[in-house]
Amino acid sequence: MLNRLLPLLITLTFVAAACGGSEQLQIDGLAAEINPEECVDGSGKEVTIYSGRTENLIEPVLEAFACATGISVQVRWGSSTQLALLIGEEGNRSPADVFLSRSPGPVGFLESKGLLGTIDDSVLNLVGEENRSAEGSWIGFSGRKRVLVRNIDLVSDAELPSSVFDLTEEKWRGKVAIPGTNGSFVDWFTVFRDQYGTDVAAQWLNDMVDNDARYYPNNRSIVEATGRGEIEMGLVNHYYNYQEVAAAGDEHRARNHDLDDDDIGSLLIITAATVLDSAENSGAANELLAYLLTEPVQSYFTNRTFEYPLAAGVQPNAALPKLSALEIGSVDFDALGGGFEETAKIIEASGIQNQ
Amino acid sequence: MTRTRAPRELRVIGLICSLAFAFPGLYLIWRNFTSGADPLGLLFAKETLEPFWRTVRLAVLVSLSAAGLGTALAWCTTRTDLPFRRLWRILLPIPLVFPTFIGAAAFIRTLNPGGLANDIFGSIGINETPELRGLFGAWFVLTLFCYPYVYLPVAARLRQLPGSFEQSALILGDTAPQAFRRIVLRQISGSLTAGTLLVFLYTISDFGAVQLMRYDTLTRAIESNYLARPPMAFALSLILLIFAGLVVLAERSVNRRLPEVKSRRVSQPMTYVLGRWKAAATALVGGTLLFAVLAPTMALVDWAADGLLRTQRGGRPLTIDPSKVIEATTNTLSSSVITGFVALMAVTPIAFLVGRYRDRIGRMTHSVVIATFAIPGILIALSLRFWTIRSGFFGDLLYDSMALLIFAYVVRFASLAMGTALVAVKTVPDGLHDAASTLGADRWRRFRSVDLPVMRPGLLAAGGLVILSTMKELPISLIVAPIGFPTLTTRIFGSFEDAFVAEAGIMAVVLVCSSALLSWFLVLRRADHL
Repeated sequence: MLNRLLPLLITLTFVAAACGGSEQLQIDGLAAEINPEECVDGSGKEVTIYSGRTENLIEPVLEAFACATGISVQVRWGSSTQLALLIGEEGNRSPADVFLSRSPGPVGFLESKGLLGTIDDSVLNLVGEENRSAEGSWIGFSGRKRVLVRNIDLVSDAELPSSVFDLTEEKWRGKVAIPGTNGSFVDWFTVFRDQYGTDVAAQWLNDMVDNDARYYPNNRSIVEATGRGEIEMGLVNHYYNYQEVAAAGDEHRARNHDLDDDDIGSLLIITAATVLDSAENSGAANELLAYLLTEPVQSYFTNRTFEYPLAAGVQPNAALPKLSALEIGSVDFDALGGGFEETAKIIEASGIQNQ
Repeated sequence: MTRTRAPRELRVIGLICSLAFAFPGLYLIWRNFTSGADPLGLLFAKETLEPFWRTVRLAVLVSLSAAGLGTALAWCTTRTDLPFRRLWRILLPIPLVFPTFIGAAAFIRTLNPGGLANDIFGSIGINETPELRGLFGAWFVLTLFCYPYVYLPVAARLRQLPGSFEQSALILGDTAPQAFRRIVLRQISGSLTAGTLLVFLYTISDFGAVQLMRYDTLTRAIESNYLARPPMAFALSLILLIFAGLVVLAERSVNRRLPEVKSRRVSQPMTYVLGRWKAAATALVGGTLLFAVLAPTMALVDWAADGLLRTQRGGRPLTIDPSKVIEATTNTLSSSVITGFVALMAVTPIAFLVGRYRDRIGRMTHSVVIATFAIPGILIALSLRFWTIRSGFFGDLLYDSMALLIFAYVVRFASLAMGTALVAVKTVPDGLHDAASTLGADRWRRFRSVDLPVMRPGLLAAGGLVILSTMKELPISLIVAPIGFPTLTTRIFGSFEDAFVAEAGIMAVVLVCSSALLSWFLVLRRADHL
């Protein structure tokens, strides 16, 4: 009896599973805001993403993509650094098709290992030249601007500096926080070296250390400490304070201050998307990258996550400070291949991590 | 004592375990060769030595204070007439479950200047609180996170001590402290050193707490060099691992000189009447819980409440819903409980080899298992990926499977069960065993009817230690877990990274509650009684 029933049961299970798979995808919330249309039927195509951009921000976009294209999406979430290391270890057998990075550093790491493939020209052309790789190995799909966050009870508007170079003055002694070893700071400092020369950049960092600049491990901890008044101000990405204010409102006592437009302290740092050289689904991967650059997604980034849009003619949200001329993409990022190693040495030697 | 040769099957199992646990270490050595790293050259460089000594200084301080605190708490909750002992026993292991990256941030949010406890401090007349940072901050936070490594095994051991020794000592004229030093301390020394070793190894491998406290240790240097200077990161990790190995060997040689403990409770354990010390003991236990559990939880609840209130007011909606919380909780609980069981199955044979047969393979495996605890989790994750991708068919089969995830967790945390399991094996009285043998019971029967009942509570406590730690594990959960297998910790990390503090707070509160539930279950099963 059982002998005859078992194959039947197994078949039924498979049939049920197959039916489940072709069921029409339903999306709601932010994802439906990005793609209000009915979902298309599954195309049978799939794409595997390693995402260093976090789930809260990116999942609605990926849901909308799956709904709009019928491509099924698999994601491994993680920190950009760790995922880059993982891809480095997996090499050309990596199951990943696409890598999304929160900052350029991890992309540079994979590029130096020769693991990045070439993105289709039609996709590359969707972003400005300054926000894509000259070799076609990565595109920027949103941006975060460097700013000075300060506690509004401790620092008055009138005395605010206009350049990072002002921060080495005596009046800011012991009052500025620097996320010395954090990825986005390391990227920023690499561009700083490229723009002003290594001597100027290293001198600035040493002067900051002499001026008792205080070390914090990351942007978030600086914004939090500034809100409590533990430290007067700090060099961070603009993004974090928007989240804190969105969460706590006026109770949070820190606000962003924009340094001069042409100051290196106003740099825009892109978040990057790449297709791996070993990607088995490079067609779907390119479709995904193109989707990231469409108008609804770019609008979502600026209106919902308060980042800077980079494509489709979308204007930054009115709440965001206007964009400076400097963008990290405009620097020859590719030529800086070994630049990160040198940057790490300079930062380590400055002793900022012990401040 | 009878010292028979270890059964061959047991030695084979031991050998397999030592190989399995050696994966991360071998990977590290391999990477040192292939990346052109120069660990010897780095060993005496200023940029290695400075963070190295800072690491050692912190680890020694945390070990001492966690050993003292853990033992005191264990004694108060097991051997005295302290009120609400059962409640304390449920709450005291909870700090194990805080992932340090959010736990330390929560401490800062509550206790630092301008923090949540500012008004409370002010109302009791404390206007200047020290800022938690640097050596002091790292020591304070890690002591509170780590005392359970000592508390759990020592409490288990204390419950089991026969009261007769102390009674004799007291009758012969010792004061209570003298009796403690001469009798109790000798009897718990094995558990105490094993627990303290775990504290030491955890401290040298921690990254989350030390970085937020801005205390520059080797792990920070390793972490910020992974991408920029991989050879340096690998070399520093190898130095860390070799140092950990030396510490493990040192502990073993100390442990070998400790008195044999072969006693199982027959009479009731002594219960001391605290009398006028009751207030002080209550203050110690209450104060520990206040700082170690309540302070960080306060910040987590504050974050969570802010988010919920904001949604009520029509602000930004939460990015999580109940179904996501339930999914993550189920994943966390199932994977950690399975890991607890598998870890016990892995360490019990090793504990038998070492504790009963003094087998050489067993001792080697024991050291490998424990030293692995000092390897940063991300390296364990990468090493497993490294080995599976290079092992063809089996690797493909394992990749993206629950089996690999559980294996990685076990490699990371079985060390926590090792010490307690060893004590459990050693406390099975030989006489009982010999009697069973004379009566004709075969090995398997003896194990089931003699060893297991005696060891069961101890093994449960060991499993509990593994389960609570697995629940908070981050890098392995991110890198090795099958795609689409979120745990509470990965969700907390994802939310916290991008300052979605409300979502992170809600998940973290759920994590703390689930751990309290597990802890309650273990206390209920008398796991802390051994």
